[in-house]
Amino acid sequence: MRFPTRLLVNNLVFAFLVWVAFCVVVALVAAVVALFGSLTQSAWEAAAQLPRWFALFVGVGLVREYLPMYIALGQTRRQFGTQAAVTAALYAPFLAALMTVGYLLESVLYGWADLSQRLGRVHLFTEPTQVPVVFLEHLIEFLAWLVAGGFMAAAFYRWQGGGILSVPLGVGLILLGGVALGTELSLPFIRRIAFSDPGSLTVTVGIGLGVFLLGLALTWAIIRDVPLRNTART
Amino acid sequence: MRIDVQDLVLRYDTVTALDGLTFGLAGGKIYGLLGRNGSGKTSLLSILAAFRRQTAGSVRVDGRPVFENGAVTSRISLIRESGEAVDIGTAEEALSYAEWLRPDWDGDYARELMETFRIEPKKNVRSMSRGQRSAMGVVVGLASRAPLTMFDETYLGMDVPARRAFYDALLADYMAHPRTIIISTHLIEEVSPLFEEVLIIDRGRLVVHEETDALLSRGTSVTGPAERVETFTEGMTVLATERLGPTASAMVYGEFGEERRKRAAEAGLELGPVAMQDLFVHLTTAEGAR
Repeated sequence: MRFPTRLLVNNLVFAFLVWVAFCVVVALVAAVVALFGSLTQSAWEAAAQLPRWFALFVGVGLVREYLPMYIALGQTRRQFGTQAAVTAALYAPFLAALMTVGYLLESVLYGWADLSQRLGRVHLFTEPTQVPVVFLEHLIEFLAWLVAGGFMAAAFYRWQGGGILSVPLGVGLILLGGVALGTELSLPFIRRIAFSDPGSLTVTVGIGLGVFLLGLALTWAIIRDVPLRNTART
Repeated sequence: MRIDVQDLVLRYDTVTALDGLTFGLAGGKIYGLLGRNGSGKTSLLSILAAFRRQTAGSVRVDGRPVFENGAVTSRISLIRESGEAVDIGTAEEALSYAEWLRPDWDGDYARELMETFRIEPKKNVRSMSRGQRSAMGVVVGLASRAPLTMFDETYLGMDVPARRAFYDALLADYMAHPRTIIISTHLIEEVSPLFEEVLIIDRGRLVVHEETDALLSRGTSVTGPAERVETFTEGMTVLATERLGPTASAMVYGEFGEERRKRAAEAGLELGPVAMQDLFVHLTTAEGAR
């Protein structure tokens, strides 16, 4: 299999540029809040709600934009599926790494400004500087949102309006990702698995990867023989 | 590349787009694919390029099935007006994907074509005019140098100079790099000089598959005094008749042997060629509508 260099690099460069812009915006908002109000917790944590939507739309774009282009340029659906899966599998850790770096940069800035980088939500990590766990949490989250976006985009591409039926399943994939992290459907037994068991991170990683693979399998079931739509205005 | 289509059927729900199509193309020529709107041209090309799977029948390119066969599809290029081959970011980004995915890509030639069509490399393809997006498709289609290259109404939106530039570039590149080219078009008179063979399909069925010269020889115009033209063409299939004062010109469909030509000369009638478009109209118009 050919490594998806072009697809991956183009998307990674774009993600990096968006991240730089995002950092500037978050820093500005945090500075304004600190100057005119009181900044008592991590601004990066609050802002982290947005990047997962970005991941979702990257998943949508992978299928909606690149699948037709790949086929039109002589590739098979299988070749595209493999390259898109590899791209998603490497793109999610890249985004997770950027999020982790964001927390570290914030930690430095908060330290200079003598602010408390307190967390306001439940996470796998208790301190924003717990780099491996911060990375892991975002990795699992982005994998789920990416694959959910790709799955729903595939359904809408194939069945147009009928794709709406895929939304509950797509949301289900995202919720399952949240279950792996203990941030969604936080039922007692889930929390026990996620936080109390000594091997909980292994289980978390297992569920997270399971969600990703399930999403890929569902997406492949839709695109494996999908016809290219003809959108020409004749 | 040799193309063999056998009993090809494509259905969309209750609509039959291709209805048992069978033909073979030896390859290494420029083929014209003609048909009225909804005749099945785009459906046929889509199956040849593995854009969709057929309902029944078989399609083989160089003896191998096409759908999900990467060894074959990498050597096939179909450019449609919908622009899926180029609708990614800027013009140069779109070309970078083509360069990456097309095994026979010629980057220098692509840049040359970009200049010919005055395409700005930094311009977003989606923000281009319809004609420029069509030209982008032409650039990708030609510079891919795919052994089977197909253009489906690619010229739409292109102005006359751009279309001329396309035809010139296509012919020059075909001469330099012979391959199988199929052009589907409604601009029959404009594009037909390029065709070596013509396929006409109507309502999903093959109506004609002939060499261009053979097809054109099936039509003859008969010009002369109106009453003599009328007498001469009696019993023949007359596609249309035009009158100008005492003179009439009738378009006749069918073989025109030596004996008929002799009779026409004796009657003082002039014989001439008929445009491919007129033959096309005749071959694809329902009896009742004629």
